[in-house]
Amino acid sequence: MLGQLFVKECKLTVKSLIYWVIVLILIFDFSTQLGDMEIERKPKPGQEDYGSRMSRDPELIMKNTLGGLVEEYNRESYITYPIGFMKTVTLDKEDDERIGEILEESTGIATREEAEKVIKAWYTSQREILDQEGKTVESMAMGPMEALQAEPLGNLTYERFGELMDEADKILGGGSDYGKEERENSAREPMTYEEALEEYEVLTEKDRLTGGYARLFSDYMVIFLGILPVFLAVTRGLRDRRAMMQELIYTRESSSFAIMVSRYLSMVVMLTVPVLALSLIPLSKCMSYAQTAGIRTDLLAFVKYTAGWQLPTIMAVTAVGMFLTELTDTAVAVLVQGAWWFVSIFASQGSIGGGNYGWNLVPRHNTEWNWQGFHDGFSQLLANRIFYAAGALILVVLTILVYEQKRKGRFQIRGKILANRKSQSEV
Amino acid sequence: MERYWQIEKVNLKYNIPLHVLVSVLLLLVSPLLMGVANLKAQDTAKVLEMYVALIGIVLLPPVFLPEQDREIRDLVYTKYVNGAVVYLVRILGNGLLLVLLLGAYVGMLAHNGCEFPVGKFFLGTLAEMLFMGGLGLFFYGLCDHLVIGYMAPIVYYITAVGSADKFLKMFYPFSMARDSYGEKIWLFAAAVALLGAGVWRRCRK
Repeated sequence: MLGQLFVKECKLTVKSLIYWVIVLILIFDFSTQLGDMEIERKPKPGQEDYGSRMSRDPELIMKNTLGGLVEEYNRESYITYPIGFMKTVTLDKEDDERIGEILEESTGIATREEAEKVIKAWYTSQREILDQEGKTVESMAMGPMEALQAEPLGNLTYERFGELMDEADKILGGGSDYGKEERENSAREPMTYEEALEEYEVLTEKDRLTGGYARLFSDYMVIFLGILPVFLAVTRGLRDRRAMMQELIYTRESSSFAIMVSRYLSMVVMLTVPVLALSLIPLSKCMSYAQTAGIRTDLLAFVKYTAGWQLPTIMAVTAVGMFLTELTDTAVAVLVQGAWWFVSIFASQGSIGGGNYGWNLVPRHNTEWNWQGFHDGFSQLLANRIFYAAGALILVVLTILVYEQKRKGRFQIRGKILANRKSQSEV
Repeated sequence: MERYWQIEKVNLKYNIPLHVLVSVLLLLVSPLLMGVANLKAQDTAKVLEMYVALIGIVLLPPVFLPEQDREIRDLVYTKYVNGAVVYLVRILGNGLLLVLLLGAYVGMLAHNGCEFPVGKFFLGTLAEMLFMGGLGLFFYGLCDHLVIGYMAPIVYYITAVGSADKFLKMFYPFSMARDSYGEKIWLFAAAVALLGAGVWRRCRK
């Protein structure tokens, strides 16, 4: 029974206009973001630039982070990004004093006057460097000067620095430059040939080339998959009512479990199919380059990443759409999922480089590099994906329960409202 | 005039309260999500264009919803008042609600010490709201499906977030944050065309 219903639902999905619109949007997403994707070539000695990479040097991280704190403390205004939008925080006297104490303990700067002197001295020295190089502030299109760095006190350990910055971030309400993730990503350094070569070897050996590109592919696709499935789920949920078939289906022999599970499975499968089909394009590019460069690739990498990275998002979003539509008989799930997507996307802006996946519905890793970050954050990512897959299954169970109640004549929220309006108008 | 007011009264009483509630909630929670005080013009534009304008998607596409049922629609079209007039009255009513909500929000931003050209940003955001709502209304009318009505402006919004003005060109919605205003004129003109085309298409079905 379940198998027959599943096939029937798949056929219905294929005939659905919304489904093909979703497929077209996925193709558009892919072709605009990854259509002209080039596989990274092996670096050669003597290149002018090998790019830059995030620095893990504690000294540099401390200097950059404390420089920012000195500037903001002096300005008496702090910039935070709780969900990707800028928020200006002004502290009350008590919190301001505590930030002052944190700054003093980490840099020895005890007052705002001292902070101002440090800022002036830094920018004077920076201007002198520019003058020596024959450049003017105006001639520098991007970042005319290096951001302020402040020297940490000699006895300040990296651990204590972390504790103090965590406290500062907490006082500011989170999302500041002093949070763990932000401060650790604050320092960048130019790469040497050896470092660039090492990074390339990690991509081709540990990641077998395809792993890195499968993550990049997942990153771009999951942005749209964080919202698109809800449209299909809502449309399918409302379809019976639009066709006035709801009551007729209620009376059928099929169990609520079979009807809902087949419906859910068909949507999840039919949404995964175009993603897998699109993944063949970057896979073929990887294969083509790997053949000439002698790299041993993982043929199933894109399948694994689609199943592990994108499928839980598809499952969760589809389940939200199905549950809310069944519960309310309205398209409210679109608004709810739209709000969730909005918060997820903007909250992930600070971690698009990968490695910090948190509990975001849309985990980001917008680079083929950073295998180490992926490796370090893997357990976090795994927990995240299991959480959403499990949450989706719970929502499906709840949907079955609601559907079962509706078959018994309960939970007819919409019908009751309509009946009420009708009786009022008759009166 | 009395007749039009009756149409709008029914709209306000039965059709739109939930959507107004969602819009008000969206605006009320904004201080928890982003800064709404002491912002420079560029950051104020970001809040208005990327967040506040979203209520256009909530309020305009549902204009066709009460006649979603084909039989009800046929019945309405047999009445003395033209169906298109009913839709236009609702669009004007919902547009006025957008003006009121946006006006209150812009007033709050100005009161909170944000530095921005109030009138210019108000009209620019309104143009974007009408465009996104109009896009939804047009596709709803075209496909006779509210879900597609929501989908079109949301996909437009995601494209703008993801690809900036690479594809959208003069229809790029977040231009004020880049200190460019010409796009708003295009958006407004397109909004009028989309709203008109949406109603025309709906009435021909």
